[in-house]
Amino acid sequence: MSDTPIIEIEDLAVSFPVPDAAGRGRRFNAVQGVNLSVYPAQTLAVVGESGSGKSVSAMSVLQLIPTPPGKYESGKIVWRGGVPGHTQEGTGVDLLTFDDKRMRAVRGNQIAMIFQEPMTSLNPVYTIGDQITEAVLLHQQVTRAEANQIAIAALSDVGIAAPASRLKEYPHQLSGGMRQRVMIAMALACQPTLLLADEPTTALDVTIQAQILELLRKLQNEKQMAVLLITHDLGVVAENVDTVAVMYAGRVLEYASVFDVFQNPMHPYTRGLLKSMPVLGREVDRLPTVMDGATIPEDFPAGFTVHPHTVDRNPPGGYGGPNSHLYEVAPNHWVLCEPTAENKDAKPAHPRLAFRRDAVAAV
Amino acid sequence: MTAISAEPVVSTASAGRSLWYDAWLRFRRKKLAMVMLVIVVLYVIVGIGVASGWLAADWQDSVGESYAPPSWDTPFGTDIFGQSVFRKMIYGTKISLSVAFFASLLSIGIGVPLGAIAGYFRGYIDEIIVWLYSTLSSIPGLLLILAFAYALKGATLFGYKLDGITAVYLALGLTSWVGLCRLIRGEVIKHKNRDYVTAANAYGASKARIIFRHVIPNVTHLILIDFSLRFVAFIHAEVILSFLGLGAKGEPSWGVMIDDARLELSRGYWWQMAAATLAIFGISLALNIVGDALRDALDPKIRE
Amino acid sequence: MFSYIVRRLLYTPLVVIGVLIVTFMLFRVVQGDVSAEYAGKNASAETIAEYRKELGFDKPLFINSEAASERGVLAVFDSQFFHHFKNAVTLDFGRARVSKQKVSSLLAEGAVPSLTLTVPMFLGTLITAVTISLFIALVRGSTLDTSVVVACVCGMSLPFLALIMFGQYFFAYKLEWFPVFGYEPGFAGAKYFVLPVLMGVFAGLGGDVRFYRTVMLDEINADYIRTAKAKGQNTPRILYRHLLKNAMIPIISKVVLAIPFLFLGSLLTERFFGIPGLGYLMVEAIGQRDFQIINAMTFVISVLFVLGNLATDVCYALVDPRVTLN
Repeated sequence: MSDTPIIEIEDLAVSFPVPDAAGRGRRFNAVQGVNLSVYPAQTLAVVGESGSGKSVSAMSVLQLIPTPPGKYESGKIVWRGGVPGHTQEGTGVDLLTFDDKRMRAVRGNQIAMIFQEPMTSLNPVYTIGDQITEAVLLHQQVTRAEANQIAIAALSDVGIAAPASRLKEYPHQLSGGMRQRVMIAMALACQPTLLLADEPTTALDVTIQAQILELLRKLQNEKQMAVLLITHDLGVVAENVDTVAVMYAGRVLEYASVFDVFQNPMHPYTRGLLKSMPVLGREVDRLPTVMDGATIPEDFPAGFTVHPHTVDRNPPGGYGGPNSHLYEVAPNHWVLCEPTAENKDAKPAHPRLAFRRDAVAAV
Repeated sequence: MTAISAEPVVSTASAGRSLWYDAWLRFRRKKLAMVMLVIVVLYVIVGIGVASGWLAADWQDSVGESYAPPSWDTPFGTDIFGQSVFRKMIYGTKISLSVAFFASLLSIGIGVPLGAIAGYFRGYIDEIIVWLYSTLSSIPGLLLILAFAYALKGATLFGYKLDGITAVYLALGLTSWVGLCRLIRGEVIKHKNRDYVTAANAYGASKARIIFRHVIPNVTHLILIDFSLRFVAFIHAEVILSFLGLGAKGEPSWGVMIDDARLELSRGYWWQMAAATLAIFGISLALNIVGDALRDALDPKIRE
Repeated sequence: MFSYIVRRLLYTPLVVIGVLIVTFMLFRVVQGDVSAEYAGKNASAETIAEYRKELGFDKPLFINSEAASERGVLAVFDSQFFHHFKNAVTLDFGRARVSKQKVSSLLAEGAVPSLTLTVPMFLGTLITAVTISLFIALVRGSTLDTSVVVACVCGMSLPFLALIMFGQYFFAYKLEWFPVFGYEPGFAGAKYFVLPVLMGVFAGLGGDVRFYRTVMLDEINADYIRTAKAKGQNTPRILYRHLLKNAMIPIISKVVLAIPFLFLGSLLTERFFGIPGLGYLMVEAIGQRDFQIINAMTFVISVLFVLGNLATDVCYALVDPRVTLN
């Protein structure tokens, strides 16, 4: 398996206008200093509350943020999966510099995305078949009949029975779980190298959720696809992913392998998040809130400190403090913090972690 | 939450403020709408001034020769009788605003109770009211107004012979309650099953009390939005009715002025038309913009 | 869907009956007997009686009990109310007051000039407004978007009457680009229609662009547009294939509801440009105080309107597959 990330988001900042009380325009960074990387065949989970910047980060990869009102303030999104007619696989290019035409060649082709709302994300006036073949015909030199065959294959890949007859159905004729399968089939029809999955199971009930996630993992293993999974469901994270990035208020707070995050959470917010998870068989009066659990750990690595504002709900001057960056405070474990005086030469580090859980299991 | 902020949290939440005050704050933020609101208020003051006799009461006086072009003394020139077009324009404010005012009053007086009753009681009362407004709404707007204005003009109702302008009030009022009635009915149906109505029922409030004390105040903002925009339609309708000879007689209105201007224009006397158009344009623009801003401020669910 | 259409079909006659009751109330009850007015000043009692008989005001309003006792039970229906219904159903609206022509044939004659004016006017406005609003949806939030909205509100605030008068004076009379006034049937008459059609399009644009802009903005923020973009679809095809087809539903309902108004013609435009359509007929009837024409117009146009409403629902089904299932 490759040792270079297929995609690296470096120091991304995206802003939106927020009119103040006087109605004047002020811009607010929805995400700021976001660093993420995903390796081939790896699943990175981006975890966080609503509004923490998970979706904005993922949509930025495909330049799907509407501009205006949004604006890419800074950062790079380095893509090494190749761009048709432009770069070979392995050569890094910054997706944020792409114009619409070049971006379109990547969208749905090398990088596909599935969205949270399968109900509204499919066009109600076209059949399932129309919508899947649209993606195929855009990116592959095939006839309509061949595109239909690809669509049928994609539908059966995602476990839809009698796919040929489903092609002629409209979205409203399918259940929620079915629609999400169709969305996945549509995304996978062009065999993308990276799949961005924005809360693909949130709108579905628990049994369907498990099926969809299992399906994604199976397809990932078959096709060596990288997955960036956005979720706020820690149960999903614990069982399905390789690496985890915890986001809050537009910043990445902690970045490590799934085992490190669950067994040795370092950032106070991550600790709070994990403590707020109900545990089966343990009775409590009241579940702790994230902030109840967000205490500064005594065993925090020497030489670093978490800015006091990181345990504050509405810090003046922004979350995490102006000097906070991701530092590799333990091997393969990155936390948003500040070096203390004794460690003032420490350099912020861009997180890169090629960890895959299946590889561990195999050993 | 254990942490304490160093500074008081600046929040846009509106705890303790009334819905109306909140809406007013949102409205006030829009500079253009505020300017337009001032213009609307000015028109209203002028209209009241004319009605009470201290503005343009001397519109009939001849101030110069026939068809004098605009000058310092007569800003919009004079008409065929040498009357000041400017004074006629000012005077026309009264007719226009009174039409819009009385038609709105009538329209609210019919639409709101009927809508509330239909929505609250449902059943056959609802069926009849829905049938009534379905019928009226299947006659195209202008045609309906014309038919009403035509039949009402000179008709005798309850021993009172209607003059042109009263017929216009009635025609516009009697035809324009449909949209409002439909709106109120829908809202009442929606609100009827809300907990606060159940609670009022539980402590024994009468049906009328529930409708008028509990439900209607919750839909007042919709009435206001509806009417800020409907006012414009009334003003434009008055112009057309007056032009067709179904409106005001014997006193100047903007519609009558435009009708007069029809023959003047080909002889190059443009000022009477310009004055009336300007007056109509000003109030329409102001009301359109205020109406939009009101909708944005009062109806948070359709705000972006 | 089928049962919905059936219910709508059954409701249609109820509404038509309602329209007839409204027109009856207006022209028979509220307005009352106008025979004396029709006969003119200084008319003899016989002339007035003749008019009264011709216009049907000699009969009682609702129940003719007198006739019933003379001519049998069924004659109880020999009243103004029932004749009002019968005449409407048989399209017998009497004769015009001045020209003495049959009202029904006047309506039939007026339809062609009216449609010649209103159909191009309507299509011109529709196509221009949809195109502008599609484009505006792309640049939403920009200065251009704001200026278009402001221009629309300004356009909506101008009185149509003043617009027509100014346009006719300036473009036809002053600049002599178009004939001022007139009508000829067939293609030879096309030159008379150019200016009125352009004026109508201009006047209608403000409201329409604002309406379609809202429709387009609703759709362009929809999730399925984002999906299409994520697939790598290009902007023109997203607009044309995805957005427009979804926006067709509100567009079609507006279009279908506008069709009866096309028959009504354009009251003021026809009057000013001398186009002998239904609008002209209506304005003339008001001037001549001919209630029978106004009554007939109200009824016929309303029936067309009701049928148009019915057609909307059928059109929905053709565009939106979701309707077929419900």
